[in-house]
Amino acid sequence: MEKVAKHEQLDEKALIAKLIEGDAAAFDYVVGRYHSIMLSVARAIIGEAFADEVVQEAWVSAIKALPRFEGRASLKTWLLQITSNGAKTRLRRESRQLSLDDGWQAEPDEKFDKRGHRIDDVLPWNMETPDALLENDQLRQVIENTFQKLPPHQRAVLTMADIEGLEMTEICNILDISSSNARVLLHRARTTLHHSIEKYQES
Amino acid sequence: MFECKDVAEEASNYLDGDLPLGKRVGLFLHLVYCSCCRRYLQQLRQTITTVVVLRPQEQHQTDTQALAEKLRAISKTES
Repeated sequence: MEKVAKHEQLDEKALIAKLIEGDAAAFDYVVGRYHSIMLSVARAIIGEAFADEVVQEAWVSAIKALPRFEGRASLKTWLLQITSNGAKTRLRRESRQLSLDDGWQAEPDEKFDKRGHRIDDVLPWNMETPDALLENDQLRQVIENTFQKLPPHQRAVLTMADIEGLEMTEICNILDISSSNARVLLHRARTTLHHSIEKYQES
Repeated sequence: MFECKDVAEEASNYLDGDLPLGKRVGLFLHLVYCSCCRRYLQQLRQTITTVVVLRPQEQHQTDTQALAEKLRAISKTES
């Protein structure tokens, strides 16, 4: 899939300079732009209870370290790495183990016969483009709700891969998971969203 | 032989171009005669594009403006 948000890197030097100068609008922009995705990473690693605190601490560390930011990665990846490091440290301290096994099942077996053929037709959707799908408020809400209900790991991988356009290697580093795990999580998230749209279309 | 179930499992890897050549060819050949799977892949692609356009975000209670102001204050004391 096409990677997005590459253009952000172009203005990053100017943005960082403004942050170091203490420009209020620059602070508003970065917090508004990156807080949610940092939270997504923290929730995936440490769970809901400590995520908020971890992200607040990550912000403070990042702002303090900003004058030393070398720009080897994008600001986004750097912030996510700081969040990830904080979350992993916290996870060790709390000695909690979160399982990647979220009980998800691939396309339900009853959809296929013994030879692996689909039993029912995949019905065409009556809305052909994303814009057409999103013009329907109910459906927009269905997609939004399904996204919020995804397990945190799936939400984080989907956000980073599809919405933010991060490379798979960066995602694996940030979440400390293998590439095959990341791909499985991404596919599960996409499949769940597809099911929700499919179900809505059939209803 | 690739069957519909295999397509359902490998669909993301196929769309992302991460499928090894042998499997890619197998899946492609299946698509030639299976309109269901062609439609499924097209819908999955549309699902991804729709999510990209919608850009759903994590729900949270944080006052981001207050956080931005707090961080700005910290950065002033640092410099």
